[in-house]
Amino acid sequence: MTTLLDPTNERRVSTMERVGRPESLRGLTVGLLDISKARGDVFLDRLEERLSELGADVRRFKKPTFTKPAPVDLRHEIATQCQVVIEALAD
Amino acid sequence: MHDIVDIERRGIPGVFVASAEFVTAADAQSKSLGFPDVARVFTPHPIQDRTDDEMRAYADEALAAIVAAVTRS
Amino acid sequence: MNATGSAAPMLPDGLVIVVKRECETCRMTAPVLEELRRGPLPVTIYTQDDPSFPAGLSPIHDHDLAISWHHDIETVPTVIRVDNGHEVARTVGWSRAEWENVTGITGLGTELPVMRPGCGSMSVDPDLVDALRVRFGGSALAARRVEVAAAEDEFEAMFDRGWTDGLPVIPPTEARVMRMLTGTSRAPDDVVAVVPPDLVEVTVEKIAINAVMAGCKPEYLPWVIAAVEAVCNDTFNIHGVLATTMPVGPVIVCSGPGTRAIGMNSGMNVFGQGNRANLTIGRAVQLVVRNIGGGRPGEVDRATHGNPGKISFCFAEDDAHSPWTSLAESRGAAKGSDALTVFPGEGPRCVVDQLARDPESLCNTFAACLRTLHNPKSILAFDAILVVGPEHARVFAEAGWNREKVVEEITARLQIPGSELVRGANGIAEGIPAHLKDAVLPKFRPGGLLLVYAGGGAGLFSAIIGGWANGDVGSQPVTKEVTR
Repeated sequence: MTTLLDPTNERRVSTMERVGRPESLRGLTVGLLDISKARGDVFLDRLEERLSELGADVRRFKKPTFTKPAPVDLRHEIATQCQVVIEALAD
Repeated sequence: MHDIVDIERRGIPGVFVASAEFVTAADAQSKSLGFPDVARVFTPHPIQDRTDDEMRAYADEALAAIVAAVTRS
Repeated sequence: MNATGSAAPMLPDGLVIVVKRECETCRMTAPVLEELRRGPLPVTIYTQDDPSFPAGLSPIHDHDLAISWHHDIETVPTVIRVDNGHEVARTVGWSRAEWENVTGITGLGTELPVMRPGCGSMSVDPDLVDALRVRFGGSALAARRVEVAAAEDEFEAMFDRGWTDGLPVIPPTEARVMRMLTGTSRAPDDVVAVVPPDLVEVTVEKIAINAVMAGCKPEYLPWVIAAVEAVCNDTFNIHGVLATTMPVGPVIVCSGPGTRAIGMNSGMNVFGQGNRANLTIGRAVQLVVRNIGGGRPGEVDRATHGNPGKISFCFAEDDAHSPWTSLAESRGAAKGSDALTVFPGEGPRCVVDQLARDPESLCNTFAACLRTLHNPKSILAFDAILVVGPEHARVFAEAGWNREKVVEEITARLQIPGSELVRGANGIAEGIPAHLKDAVLPKFRPGGLLLVYAGGGAGLFSAIIGGWANGDVGSQPVTKEVTR
């Protein structure tokens, strides 16, 4: 834990906010990102089935390891192909 | 969570799914990443010893919350 | 060195001696401490390192160095005489005469040499000082603490939080900020200015935090503080300078012996990379505008193109070698004082004249180049700084022209017939209203052309730094003296 002193005027909530969401997933490309922990694939397989039933076009991605953020290339690939992303399953 | 923060920063809605073990860690982590409101859904814990049917049931139970987290509905 | 954060523990009456086992002089004088113990005054011994030293004398272990820190112990041994809770005398190292003087007891240490220097106190050990400063003064810091989780990269975390200007910044830990604050005698909670656009008060502490982030050394801090004061007022109008679509940002011109003391560059590559003082002072000011004032590109900052100097544009005038007074002096600063002038400027433009041997001809070049500032048809609205390089300045120096004469001569060459300036003239739509076609108008308002001496000794070049809109709705340069 590193403690830093806030250089700002402390008035602004310098936090990110969620981007806008679509009305529904029908017709959208949904990326499922597997973080590569055990049993996550079963969970994601089921999500894929259910999301497809909802009319989404599901694409599957897998991180090389759950111990670090996804490689830049993978994030870029996901970002260029998908309109919504679901990452699972951390435990 | 970092991946979803990065994805959102690129303008794409995202949500991460974790087991209930992660609730407080996610809270702390989201704040330290400067994105306390990042979308997350929790399944019951544990995960590792669940059968395939139990995992699928977790997915079915989480579906509504996951969809809600990434749509306007 | 006295902390403002925590209360100083009081010293007991009588004699107080601070020692450390690691110090040979302290070991040598241990027998003298026994002699003092046998004397009439109460004796309290504080040991900085090993509580078993000096043996048999029941020392108190100053384990957290609170006593040493708060009582400015720089050398061990130190002997202090305390009467009614107040220090009345002190001596450092071993000197028989001094010890007898302070203690009032004669015949001390007769087997010892007459004197022997002491050693550095642990409370001034460079490896320990930063932590001590935080321990004893850290509560004087009012800024919100932001925790970065152990798994986080603190540099990425600062980018993520929008604290940077696009380049990495130094993490502003309590220790770094406390160290930065030693660069000023002002209190951390002193309010320096009100920063637009959010119109927030900025304290010395907040400036120090941003100065740490910029990479400043503590000795740069007074310059950063003066520059923040200089830009945050209606005259300079940092809000306007920030919000404009024009490419300007604060340009900071420094002068005085202090610029040399902190190693600023006034010579070769004066506008360029490489000099820490130049770059970090300018950068710190911009970070304050951004982080405290809330002025960010894409939000309040709407510059069409901006310019690279908006990261940092700060340099020293070479007033030691200049044939002229410094810019600051010409604007009222005391001769030989440390001062800076802030100017709303764009990036510099080169002026080449490798053939002029006389001042008139050189002024013709300057006038011709200045004529085209922003647009050949624009007059009066914009100021400019002409940065004269040493080789060009020599031409003026040899002719005995002072700065006023140079400005006067250039100004005389920039009296322009209205017919050249009206809208549509020369096929250029820009210009002044047609009814002024018979007037003769100056390129610059009175006082709108500033002269600075800076640059490397080789090269027949000067530079023009174009300004922003002047006058009441625009920005005017401001000069401030720099004090510690």
